[in-house]
Amino acid sequence: MLSAQIDLREMDAIIKEVKAGILKLMELSGGMQCVDRNCERILAGIKMLEINVSDLQDVME
Amino acid sequence: MEIKNIDRYWNPVLETLPREQLRAMQFNKFKRIVEWGYNNSKMYRRIYDAAGFQPGDVKNWDDIYTVPTLQKEDYRSAQAKDPWPYGDSLCVPLEKVTEYHQTSGTTGQPVYQPDTWQDWEWWNESWAYILWSQGFRNTDRVFIPFGYNIFVAYWAGHYACEKVGCEVVPGGILNTEERLLKIQELKATALMATPTYVLSMADTCRRVLGKEASELTVRRILCAGEPGASIPTTKKRMEEAWGAKVFDHVGATEIGAWAYECSFQPGGMHANEALFLVELVDIDTGKPIEELNRPGKIVITAFDRFAQPCIRFDSKDVSMWGEPCACGRSFRLLKGGVHGRVDHITKVKGVLFSPISVEEVVRGMPQFGDEYELVVSKKGDVDVITLKVELLPQAGVTPEEVQPELERQLRLKTNLAYKIEFHPFGSLPRYEIKAKRFKDLRQHG
Repeated sequence: MLSAQIDLREMDAIIKEVKAGILKLMELSGGMQCVDRNCERILAGIKMLEINVSDLQDVME
Repeated sequence: MEIKNIDRYWNPVLETLPREQLRAMQFNKFKRIVEWGYNNSKMYRRIYDAAGFQPGDVKNWDDIYTVPTLQKEDYRSAQAKDPWPYGDSLCVPLEKVTEYHQTSGTTGQPVYQPDTWQDWEWWNESWAYILWSQGFRNTDRVFIPFGYNIFVAYWAGHYACEKVGCEVVPGGILNTEERLLKIQELKATALMATPTYVLSMADTCRRVLGKEASELTVRRILCAGEPGASIPTTKKRMEEAWGAKVFDHVGATEIGAWAYECSFQPGGMHANEALFLVELVDIDTGKPIEELNRPGKIVITAFDRFAQPCIRFDSKDVSMWGEPCACGRSFRLLKGGVHGRVDHITKVKGVLFSPISVEEVVRGMPQFGDEYELVVSKKGDVDVITLKVELLPQAGVTPEEVQPELERQLRLKTNLAYKIEFHPFGSLPRYEIKAKRFKDLRQHG
């Protein structure tokens, strides 16, 4: 049986930082498709992190 | 916070969240998707306006039941117009859509299903919950013996395998023998298929390769598309034929993969209540059912699918709530999985009849082959159920010897009498994907 200490709040803060970084990258891309399309894919992955971690914040407090 | 059994769950926090907190999260997400649908889809706006409903009306849990349910027909009538072909059901600009799938259209015009890349990632996430709970890991080599096409079946399973870290072998257009040879050559450890095809592959393995499927290396099988993996006798046949653990799951094109059997094999499936609101409602009145062991139909909302949202969709699947599972998940258990569809559960001679009960009996008697067929017809004013079965050649018994026991078990299980027909082994239809073993001829005169 594996157990672990986790900090959802800290994880959520990092998810927000990563998302902000990707959105900033899209702002800076000047429309470079190789940046924008890969950022879109990363954002979809970040959304899954939000579903699995960030959306829990409201009910855990 | 300390999380125990962290390796048992895909999301150890969400899957074990106390019910009260889970409900609070579900309520927040339900309100969000209702607002999204109303604000972005002409279809939802039309349906809600016609019912005098506004998203702001959802103020507490019971208000959820006042939100109009969505029928497959609603999608059909909203589609086949611009933005082509999704029409009024689409909630995002067409250029955001990256995935196309459609329903099979067995009950009418197929429903078109658009997904954005984020929606598709979500589909795969819902499958990742399933795979992880059934023990799929990065050490598995998963063979998918399925003709990938416009239907969603196993596409998400494929992508979710990648997400979980499995190595995926797409068994696309190979025939059954070629697939078995490839499984043997690559030493695949897991498989995904319909129960009908799992049994058919085992039969081909015996007849063509001259060996039992259990002699191959597959030790885990994930089923979909039919209820067989939740029927104990059919599950047992598959597990014995392959020497593997067999698990069930359920999903639909318009909904997502919304329930799964975990590795504890509790005789049912967990509703994935992190991603879906799964309601059980009375078939006639639509009133919510909370008590255990009372059949009802499933109404589902997907919380995080946005291109074509699925809000209080009438799935027409029938199930019942069961006792909690020992695995520790707080997600409720649907006892016996999906028992069938509302339109398949019918009255015969005044008795509620589910064809699945017959499968449980036939597959539970070792003298019979895997195939059977059920036909309900009318003789005058009387309903007649004909059950066609095949005796296994190696069973070494005559029809006269097994018929009384078959009739006795059928009566015990279904409270009905049957006209039994014995057919030569190998003569009943064989199916590659989904079987059509039940025919109700009464509706056609």
